Amino acid sequence: MVMSPPAERVEAATVISVADAGIRFKRNRRARRTFKDLFAGRNRRSRPGEFWALRDVNFTVASGEAIGVVGRNGQGKSTLLKLVAEVILPDEGSVSVHGGVAPLIEITGGFVDELTVRDNVFLTAGLHGMKRSEIEERFDEIIDFAEIGDFLDTPYKHLSSGMKVRIAFAVISRLEEPIILVDEVLAVGDKAFREKCYRRIEELLAGGRTLFFVSHNERDLKRFCTRGLYLDKGALVLDAPIEDVLARYNSDYGEPA
Amino acid sequence: MVVSALAPSRPSWSPFARYRHSLWLLTVRDLRVRYSTSALGYVWSILDPLVMAAIYWFVFTQVFDRSVGEQPYIVFLLTALLPWMWFNGAVSDSTRAFLREAKLVRSTKIPRTIWVNRLVLSKGIEFLASIPVLAVFAIFSGAQLHWQVVFFPLAVLLQAILVMGVGLIVAPMVVFFRDLERATKLALRFLFYASPIIYGVVDLPEGLHFWAAFNPLAGVFSLYRAAFFPDQLDWATVGIGSGMCLLFLVLGVLVFRRTERAVLKEI
Repeated sequence: MVMSPPAERVEAATVISVADAGIRFKRNRRARRTFKDLFAGRNRRSRPGEFWALRDVNFTVASGEAIGVVGRNGQGKSTLLKLVAEVILPDEGSVSVHGGVAPLIEITGGFVDELTVRDNVFLTAGLHGMKRSEIEERFDEIIDFAEIGDFLDTPYKHLSSGMKVRIAFAVISRLEEPIILVDEVLAVGDKAFREKCYRRIEELLAGGRTLFFVSHNERDLKRFCTRGLYLDKGALVLDAPIEDVLARYNSDYGEPA
Repeated sequence: MVVSALAPSRPSWSPFARYRHSLWLLTVRDLRVRYSTSALGYVWSILDPLVMAAIYWFVFTQVFDRSVGEQPYIVFLLTALLPWMWFNGAVSDSTRAFLREAKLVRSTKIPRTIWVNRLVLSKGIEFLASIPVLAVFAIFSGAQLHWQVVFFPLAVLLQAILVMGVGLIVAPMVVFFRDLERATKLALRFLFYASPIIYGVVDLPEGLHFWAAFNPLAGVFSLYRAAFFPDQLDWATVGIGSGMCLLFLVLGVLVFRRTERAVLKEI
């Protein structure tokens, strides 16, 4: 496994470093639970009924890199993304992220049905750390991008599901954070809007952002990413240029349709 | 479309400012949602204690010969009932602190204690907003305001510490043991009668005074009540109660820290 970033990027600062990270989950969510294992802390070894979703994962990401995460379903891709977003915490090892993160994960999660689109934009952007004045500056841009100008004062619950995703993407992608995390969520929405989202991601990349991208779509991975991480059975199997990673993935599991 | 040229250098927040900012946003959101979805809004948050106060007032002054509390009884009731609504509302809402906001908790990395503290704050604000009701009753029943009203901020502080501590224990535990939601409701109903709300600590049998002080609400309510009924103020009770409030907070922080990573996996 090669950890060092490509030579021309040596001067770029490390923004994400994952060291010996591991996280385990209960195999059966309904498993009986006792007060004792609730307080068992992080250092206990694996117990029956649990499995390591990820283990001994090591890599660092330099500022400006575009990384694609490859692997079959259930091999820990989304878990890795959530670890980097710091919305779950590792049971062993460490994940440290320097700089703000714009997580395109469950993007509609922060939106409240009862409030208007306008209130929701201020709420979500604010929760991700934007000041009111910053949001006001970008407000028109966000609404333009989402193409929902007429629905500003409509309660969020009355929007169509497409609109909901559009406004959510518009807000999160305007966060101006140096690191962007993208999960497969973008598969939602019509083709034209998806293309628009992808163009936006390309612009952000051109602007020097760091991208962390989870997808099954080989074309998208090749379009954005230069480096690939291949996860299999909870381990980081290969950390290499994206073409090599995809080639290895395809040789392991056959050509994807 | 305009995109800033390079990795942007935004003004960065101190962790404390960021915490305050997120906490405030969510608190305002809670209050907004509550008041934008009901026509009566503010009235609801005071109607509940008012109806309860009316019932107890009727029972203890009209039906029975009042032998508990002090005159005017309605003011005596409200001085503890309004803060009780804060405690009751925040603790029972904290049973759903994570479950109701699961999607948001899963997608933002704000410090997790905010999910509890926003409830402490929004219910606390509703409590402060209900004080004018007490003032109106005090004026019309001719209750005398004493200098002990200066203890009001201390009472608010102690109660905030207590509610935060209890919330930090209840919120993560409910994620693992859903039954706790109902158990909490039951415990709260018990606590209502076990706390000096419809009576004062002095109305209890002599032998119970010392033990009653270990219910932190006893000390807190006696501080609130001192504004109108200085005789209710008993510093021993307040002292033990303050210790209990701090104990709950320490316990709450410990429980919350130990369970945080498991909570995030579970929701």
